[in-house]
Amino acid sequence: MALLNKKNSGNLKIALAGNPNSGKTTLFNELTGSRQHVGNWPGVTVEKKVGKAFYNNKSIEVVDLPGTYSLGAYSEDEIVARDFLTSGDYDLVLDIINSSNLDRNLFFAIQLLEMGVDLIAVLNMADEAKKKGIDININKLSAELGIPVVETVAKKGEGIDSLLKKTVENKDLEVSDFKIDYGNKIESIINEIISKLDDSRISKNINKRWAAIKLIEKDPEIYERLEKEISNNLLKKLKTLVAKKELKSENSFENIIINKKYEFIDNVIEKTVTYREKKNEDKLSDKIDNVVTNKYLGIPIFLFIMWAMFKFTFTLGDPLIGYIEAFFGAIGDWVGQLLLNIGAPSIITSFIADGIIDGVGSVLVFLPNIVLLFLFIAVLEDSGYMARAAYVMDKIMTKLGLHGKSFIPMVIGFGCNVPGVMATRTLDNKKDKIVSILINPLMSCSARLPVYIVFAGALFPNNGGIVVFSLYLLGILLAVIMASVFNKFFFDGEKSDFLMELPPYRVPSVKSVFIHMWEKVSAFIKKAGTIIFSVVVLIWVLANLPVGVEYASAQSLIGRFGQLIAPIFKPLGFGSWQAASSLIFGILAKEVVVGTLGVVYSLGEGGLRTALTANFNPLAAYSFMAMVLIYTPCIATLGTIKSETNSWKWPIITAAYLFVLAWIVSFLIYQIGMLLGIGI
Amino acid sequence: MISLIELKTGEKACIEKIIGGRRAKNRLSSLGFVRGKNIKIFRDNGGPIIIGINDDRIALGRGMASKVMVSQKGSDK
Repeated sequence: MALLNKKNSGNLKIALAGNPNSGKTTLFNELTGSRQHVGNWPGVTVEKKVGKAFYNNKSIEVVDLPGTYSLGAYSEDEIVARDFLTSGDYDLVLDIINSSNLDRNLFFAIQLLEMGVDLIAVLNMADEAKKKGIDININKLSAELGIPVVETVAKKGEGIDSLLKKTVENKDLEVSDFKIDYGNKIESIINEIISKLDDSRISKNINKRWAAIKLIEKDPEIYERLEKEISNNLLKKLKTLVAKKELKSENSFENIIINKKYEFIDNVIEKTVTYREKKNEDKLSDKIDNVVTNKYLGIPIFLFIMWAMFKFTFTLGDPLIGYIEAFFGAIGDWVGQLLLNIGAPSIITSFIADGIIDGVGSVLVFLPNIVLLFLFIAVLEDSGYMARAAYVMDKIMTKLGLHGKSFIPMVIGFGCNVPGVMATRTLDNKKDKIVSILINPLMSCSARLPVYIVFAGALFPNNGGIVVFSLYLLGILLAVIMASVFNKFFFDGEKSDFLMELPPYRVPSVKSVFIHMWEKVSAFIKKAGTIIFSVVVLIWVLANLPVGVEYASAQSLIGRFGQLIAPIFKPLGFGSWQAASSLIFGILAKEVVVGTLGVVYSLGEGGLRTALTANFNPLAAYSFMAMVLIYTPCIATLGTIKSETNSWKWPIITAAYLFVLAWIVSFLIYQIGMLLGIGI
Repeated sequence: MISLIELKTGEKACIEKIIGGRRAKNRLSSLGFVRGKNIKIFRDNGGPIIIGINDDRIALGRGMASKVMVSQKGSDK
């Protein structure tokens, strides 16, 4: 009897569930060929992803759920997975199990089975288990659990076909009543509760035995669920029943149930698994960890890797930037000439050449940096180092009131704040998550880089590198300060615990690294393609209105806007309407600042440098760059904050506090600089 | 019976029980921390402790680790 009411009809729909580090996402990629985020980083799949698999020319919809250890509601990952699994919107669940770690993975599997989920157990990483001397008798395991079991090595694509075959064969699988014997005492209470539920109006979707067990465990979530199902009176009665019986028990029911579950698992393992040899304890992974997590070496190694990451990104990326610039310059000229030749009106020529091609070019220019940075991050994640880095950084991050894991979103933020904010989902604690989100925009994303490059190139020709580097540091410093401020004043008291699996080191596969990198890059390109493109068009329109005005002059709408707010920025050293309008548009996307400046100074690429030298002194330029770094993040980031926090409150707070902070910092930079007579 | 955080690097122990609230119990049990499991301390730098359990290495914050009560079973060092 299938106990969850399946809503799905039509195409076969399956869901992948399982522990982190079970190779679930790799399997998903093998099944669907979809571009996916695969990481050797616990909890890398932060939202459910959907793809299509094909078997015998029939398509199967595959949903990849976040990897979770249990189905509690301790982190967003778990909530996403649990909500989907209880929704019943699927035909079958594939529980991906790490074969070398059967007992913990089975703990998750039996939770699903108790809920009444129709399940196929997929013993993944079967090769690693065999190498470790673990032999699993699949047929016996299948008999013990009462469900089909398939062996796979997702990384090598082994067993995928037979998995698909089994899936199709078992599409109508109905797991018959799976039962763990919890002993007379608990069983009699279970039966008592079930008989009471039998008389209630509880819907058929809920497995009563499961509900009874959860009631005995005093799980607050089952209370919430049952409130909608049965009368308050009955719920109260059931609660009292459990409480009364538990008083008489020397061990808490919850403990008994957990221990019985593991006893059950131990029993299953004893019957189905043979260990050929004693486990070799002195593993290579541990040897690497001895160095990498060392008390004294851990942080220097981490810093070295971060340094190498930026070195890699910029040393390899910068020459490519030149090519892309040249490429778009050539296309712009070529198209402009072409349009001129065919006699297109100058307004159209200007729209296409100045508006669209320049605009898109200005965004794609730093694509090499983004690709390289995310490539490096992908290698760090897939190799398993990221988890160690979180461990190493935990002490420092805890001092800042954050969590070891919080630095991952920060590192990703250097590429783009949008995936950075999204990466905060793996944080279990709401406070950690919010604080990490609030400070993420201070990580200087690659969209700010073109602004620095243009300004540093124009005004700091001899020490541009140091200037740009100092801005990154300024961002980190402010993030650290703001994190402690937020912790102190807004989120006092809440404490979270570090809990992280350190997966064995693996040589990252080229395929997964590229898929992984591409996921983040494509999010960025999508943003560039939609938001930035429309912004570029919007700017061009505003620069041409009202009709008849000279393109981007002080009389155009853009110029008037700028003039209106320019006085705010006067004490910061850049009170011109041009600077002000570029900042307004920078909120739409930070890289647009450069493009807008190009437009409002009505100059081409090369001319901007001259215009900047004429309009900014080095001090004002530095103050302006600090402003661009800190002030209100781009719309895409704010939108992501809204969707991640599910409230308008946090994007509004982020936008406001960062603007104020930016103003203060730029004010201090400019005024102190003036007093000291630096860079005037 | 002592708390896991009292163990030193390289020491081995057997889990006796998990104390604390249901949240901690739940998380720990789903990671495999249950009565009867053997563990080994791989690293304790003062922050989270790296614990070997089954074939896993799990880093646990001290707060969480202090909820794992163990009996010592010797040392590698």
